[in-house]
Amino acid sequence: PANRPVWLNAGKQIAHPTRSRPPSTDADPRRWHSRLSAILPSLATGCHPVRPRRQIRAATPTRPRSSSRASADLRGRRPSLAMINFVLLISRQGKVRLTKWYSPYTQKERTKVIRELSGLILTRGPKLCNFVEWRGYKVVYRRYASLYFCMCIDADDNELEVLEIIHHFVEILDRYFGSVCELDLIFNFHKAYYVLDEILISGELQESSKKNVARLIAAQDSLVEAAKEEAGSISNI
Amino acid sequence: QDSVERIVEDAAMDLSLNPFSSGTRLRDMIRAIRASKTAAEERAVVRRECAAIRAAISDNDQDYRHRNMAKLMFIHMLGYPTHFGQMECLKLIAASGFPEKRIGYLGLTLLLDERQEVLMLVTNSLKQDLNHSNQFIVGLALCALGNICSAEMARDLAPEVERLLQTRDPNTKKKAALCSIRIVRKVPDLAENFMGSAASLLKEKHHGVLISVVQLCTELCKASREALEYLRKHSVEGLVRILRDVSNSSYAPEYDIAGITDPFLHIRVLRLMRTLGQGDADCSEHVNDILAQVATKTESNKNAGNAILYECVETIMGIEATSGLRVLAINILGRFLSNRDNNIRYVALNMLMKAMAVDTLAVQRHRVTILECVKDADVSIRKRALELVYLLVNDTNVKPLTKELVDYLEVSDDDFKEDLTAKICSIVEKFSQDKLWYLDQMFKVLTLTGNFVKDDVWHALIVLISNAPELQGYSVRSLYKALQASGTQESLVRVAVWCIGEYGEMLVNNISMLDVEEPITVTESDAVDALELALKRYSVDFPGDVTKLSEDTSNCCAE
Repeated sequence: PANRPVWLNAGKQIAHPTRSRPPSTDADPRRWHSRLSAILPSLATGCHPVRPRRQIRAATPTRPRSSSRASADLRGRRPSLAMINFVLLISRQGKVRLTKWYSPYTQKERTKVIRELSGLILTRGPKLCNFVEWRGYKVVYRRYASLYFCMCIDADDNELEVLEIIHHFVEILDRYFGSVCELDLIFNFHKAYYVLDEILISGELQESSKKNVARLIAAQDSLVEAAKEEAGSISNI
Repeated sequence: QDSVERIVEDAAMDLSLNPFSSGTRLRDMIRAIRASKTAAEERAVVRRECAAIRAAISDNDQDYRHRNMAKLMFIHMLGYPTHFGQMECLKLIAASGFPEKRIGYLGLTLLLDERQEVLMLVTNSLKQDLNHSNQFIVGLALCALGNICSAEMARDLAPEVERLLQTRDPNTKKKAALCSIRIVRKVPDLAENFMGSAASLLKEKHHGVLISVVQLCTELCKASREALEYLRKHSVEGLVRILRDVSNSSYAPEYDIAGITDPFLHIRVLRLMRTLGQGDADCSEHVNDILAQVATKTESNKNAGNAILYECVETIMGIEATSGLRVLAINILGRFLSNRDNNIRYVALNMLMKAMAVDTLAVQRHRVTILECVKDADVSIRKRALELVYLLVNDTNVKPLTKELVDYLEVSDDDFKEDLTAKICSIVEKFSQDKLWYLDQMFKVLTLTGNFVKDDVWHALIVLISNAPELQGYSVRSLYKALQASGTQESLVRVAVWCIGEYGEMLVNNISMLDVEEPITVTESDAVDALELALKRYSVDFPGDVTKLSEDTSNCCAE
């Protein structure tokens, strides 16, 4: 496609440089094969592939795998539907506190994604950059206390801006809950979703004013309170 | 400390005192789940709750619908199936009160995704709610539609959303703009319907509306050539004005982030300018000055400022920029590259890859810093830097660059060794006219990380040696020495064994020595011993008669 950024094309070339066949000469590979095969019968059938010996570290979480080895199933199939493909909040222990999906993922795919990303992100040291490359996407994450806020974006999106969007979300949550902690997001997860829905729609930013978001949520909360008082019967959630 | 038993006891007592009790509150269910010590306990709690919810649904219990929907969403987040609750979402959405709709729409976007057919049933409710007198209800509908609609729903409801772009309430307008983005992504044919409204909405003052509309314009340009041309004609001056105003604006507490007013608006406008200016000299000229202003004026000590500069550099490199502007961009890149913040360096490496297409020489100037990044502690940075180094290699710098990379190969992490080995082999193969240098590099790599060297790479090495008679003696002697020093890498052993087998006589008799070599003493039995040792070590992979080999090798050496 014409809009493909230059570096992505360059990247493809690097990963898989086209190998030109070695020029054939009088000493072609088959000769040494046949000579050696007299000594070493196993080589007569052609060399078997060299298997790199990979050290398996003792630590339980699997080491992050390089993106070139990751499965390609999600990559080609999914057209870009949003700047932010999904939002994920996970605890230090890998428990999911909030997920919002702006691109189509089945239930099974979602579980797989969460498991993979948890393994990738929770094992990263504190001094490393806030971006991981995963299946051709980039995942921007930042740790706030015991929670990791993660947002998955396309490879050519502005990751520094997404860091600001994450911070924007966190500050608004903080204002809403008053010094928000993980427990607030557990017991009032539905309210956290209401807040998120005032910040992002279809994976795009909707409001840059924290004051405005707070005002809108407060107005809707009072609508609910008013209706409660009126009806007197809406169950206390 | 909560225990599941205690909570269940409380609930049981509650029930016995008040037979019409509704069961657990949301908070209590969450506490019970958190207090579960095993997966089985948790499953038991969830099963009990689901049973109660199912019963309430089939009884059409009105009283606790909110609580049940909230419980369903929590249970869903844990990973349990909640299909039975989908119709409840629809019922809540169809109810008349705001509280019901609020939780119903949330349930819809969490429990369903666009592929489910149940979603189609909501279309009617959505249509009604998009026409509601309560702006908040309209907002709920727009949000749900924007997050989850299918192509069919997009087509059905596009006219309503178009109309809502003209409404007076800015909060509704901004939601309508974002909803339109999704509609256009799902049904690009509809792009032309939105371009007129989008262009005129650029005159708005409300920031939320502006960021949404600017994003909509960007989307329209991607979806339709006609929209792109239209927006090029009608929106460039407006965009320049928006960016200039926000860039020059004095302190605005509502939008301030790290001393900059609304970085999000800056970034979105810059992005749209890139889309409009790409391949269009006229448009590029119009935005030249404001880009220069943003590039020079924006503070880069905080992430917000750097995010803007990043976008600015991307735009400069994407449009038909003047050379002065390009110089500005490369300078910013240079500063980013030496920033101590890992994020900034990562981003700089990305930008430099794009800059290669624009000004290779300027990027070459940063070669040393980039090489340093190959050794960075952060794997994301190492990977980016390595790709960039590969692009930078040319005839002049290939030898020093390769030396640096091979030196690093020795100490790098196992995870990285594979990538690094592959890159070094690529580079070396590309510049293999200097055969002696190529051989030296390959022997080094085989010794250090032979296990990661791909088959076709060492095949090519063997072919080159076969075709270079003047270097065969050197090769066999070097490989023999390497084998003695460390025969742990399987590929090294294979190549060495082949070489000794082919050119054993050169090894033993120091034939065709090069100036750089010192003579070594290797007897026939030394050579055979070396082979036997190597073969023994890999006897699993090389089944064969070692006696026969030693015979053959002796014969070969005697030739």
